[in-house]
Amino acid sequence: MNEKISTAALALFAGMAAIAQPAFADTELKVYISSQHQPQVWRQILDKYEAANPGTKVSIETGGNTSEAQAQYLNTIMSAKDSSLDVLILDVIRPAQFAAAGWTSPFAGKDMSVYLPAYAEANTVDGKVVALPAFADSMFLYYRKDLLEKHGIQPPKTWDELTAAVKKINGAENNPELQGLSFQGKAIEGAVCTFLLPYWSQGKSLVNNGKLTFDKDAAVKSLKLWKGFVDNGVAKKNIAEVATDDTRKEFQAGNAIFAVNWSYAWAQSQGKESAVAGKVGVARLPAIAGGEQATCLGGWEWGVSAYSTHQDEAKKLVEYLSSKDSSKFMAVNGSLLPTYPDLYKDADVLKAAPWFADALQVVETAKPRPVTPRYNEVSETVRTTVNAVLAGVMTPEDGAAQIEARLKRILR
Amino acid sequence: MLDLSDRALAVLLLAPAAILLSLIIVYPVLRLLYTSFFSLSLTSGLPAEFVGLENYQLMIEDPVFWETTWNTVLITLITVPGALFVGLGLALLANLPFGMQWPVRLSLLIPWALPLSFAGLIFAWFFHSEYGVVNDVLARFGFPGVIWFNSPNLAFAAICLTIVWKTSSFMALIILAGLQTIPRSLYEAADVDGAGRIRQFFEITLPLLKPAIVVALIFRTITALQTFDIPFMMTGGGPGTSTATLAMYIHQNTVSFLDLGYGSALAVVMFALSMCVTAVYLRIIRTKE
Repeated sequence: MNEKISTAALALFAGMAAIAQPAFADTELKVYISSQHQPQVWRQILDKYEAANPGTKVSIETGGNTSEAQAQYLNTIMSAKDSSLDVLILDVIRPAQFAAAGWTSPFAGKDMSVYLPAYAEANTVDGKVVALPAFADSMFLYYRKDLLEKHGIQPPKTWDELTAAVKKINGAENNPELQGLSFQGKAIEGAVCTFLLPYWSQGKSLVNNGKLTFDKDAAVKSLKLWKGFVDNGVAKKNIAEVATDDTRKEFQAGNAIFAVNWSYAWAQSQGKESAVAGKVGVARLPAIAGGEQATCLGGWEWGVSAYSTHQDEAKKLVEYLSSKDSSKFMAVNGSLLPTYPDLYKDADVLKAAPWFADALQVVETAKPRPVTPRYNEVSETVRTTVNAVLAGVMTPEDGAAQIEARLKRILR
Repeated sequence: MLDLSDRALAVLLLAPAAILLSLIIVYPVLRLLYTSFFSLSLTSGLPAEFVGLENYQLMIEDPVFWETTWNTVLITLITVPGALFVGLGLALLANLPFGMQWPVRLSLLIPWALPLSFAGLIFAWFFHSEYGVVNDVLARFGFPGVIWFNSPNLAFAAICLTIVWKTSSFMALIILAGLQTIPRSLYEAADVDGAGRIRQFFEITLPLLKPAIVVALIFRTITALQTFDIPFMMTGGGPGTSTATLAMYIHQNTVSFLDLGYGSALAVVMFALSMCVTAVYLRIIRTKE
């Protein structure tokens, strides 16, 4: 009897020791990465980090295929104060919200001047650095270089020029499958930028220092521009069903002359499955006649969860992930735009993605979407209204009035 | 003494279930009611503040609340009777005395066994204006294609059709179980008395099916009031917010906007709505007895 107990006790201790041993030796960090941003390439950076830091193991968790789906997932995890995730990748519109909710740990004394100014700003909330940049992005005008050259057309600088170019090419090509312009009309995050592009182009801002600075005439003009593209046949009739990746697929299949999209569409348009490899040009987005060319700032950031039980190790990892070496590695191997200005002139980077040379100017002048902790509500209002106007359920005038009324309520 | 120990035994036996139910149902419902009186938004960075009925006041002034509630009621009023009629028809078919019954019953089970979000996704593709099979069939018969999700009415119709397809098999299964408890001898006696098929249906089948139908209706109505998955997957509430339901609006306020106070108040309204419907049905059953 006694023997049995002591054997059992021994086995128990042995078991506990077996469990406890590696916990002293190893730190396990879990990193949440958006599945559309090439976790397999980030994995290579994490492998290098593990090799340089013996005793630290890093695993990746992915989930959700859109920014909204990922935000909903993280919202659930973080509001439960779950400590299972240590490092999170966040869309550029979210650090303000996460900081207000107290979900990310600040980086004290971090020098942000090495990054592109837009990202230093997006990651600083109330004077505190709440996240570090992962990669840069903005919206571009993709165009069919071959078709424009064939018809002797320069890349358009205004939306009117774009309309004229579409009319000319469509008239000559006579291909019913070929759309003029593909953009995002579905009620997704991309539709917020859809609304803002021509709105900003008129020199107006939506939110300034947390206060609404809504210009109704500019909003009506913006909604009218997009609805006009549907009515005059430049865009297809069901544009209200089109999400970001639909635009990417349509352009890649050779079914669109112009497309409004983020930089990720480039790598895939040059891939094996693309019908337009070598025929793609990238330019700044056109302006409203008499206005300036404006684009929407994108990009993603690395944050450390406030509930992580490995604060120091997680911050060290984030510093590594947002370092110049990592930024260059992701530019060369994943064609993600760098967050350090001088990398846009780096020979290795330009060899992998020659068009990055012209992208710096675009990213530097890109405008951020409104910075507010209640961004999700602002976004929801704008994107459902854009969707309703494009579907023809609401007039541009009523749409602008609805955006104004609801934003007033959210940002009071 | 014996009575008391019987009683003690009963209490002892019921206690685990009662404790479990209080933990997973009573406590969350009370907590929800409590939260609905607070201004609690995780994005504000402010601590929870007691605001009394302010969330309910906001709700009354909120046009989206009324729109989504009306959509929910409309979906319930259309799809519950729709599923009942289709389900009854399917159950009667499956109960016909022919040799190979299992393929019919299996095909009845499949829509029921399919997760709601899968059904939503499948039908979103069916109704897609360019790649969808519905427009393809219309085109083969010479009709022009329709952009289903561009029009609030067409999108709503597509959603209702999908819900009826998805839920009528559940109705059919419960009614089929009810049908099988009706003794054949009743129909034989009716045959002898010279009652026709239609008369038999209304005099024997339908009255004896009533309990099964009421049970099916309770379950279906409650789930219809909570409709979320199918419109979420098919239209995401669009165009605009014209096909969003109350459950989707609650989800949006709590999960996307992190406005737990307002979301709780909305959920309390949905809970009250479900309780009212259940109370009405329970009364119907009780008066029957």
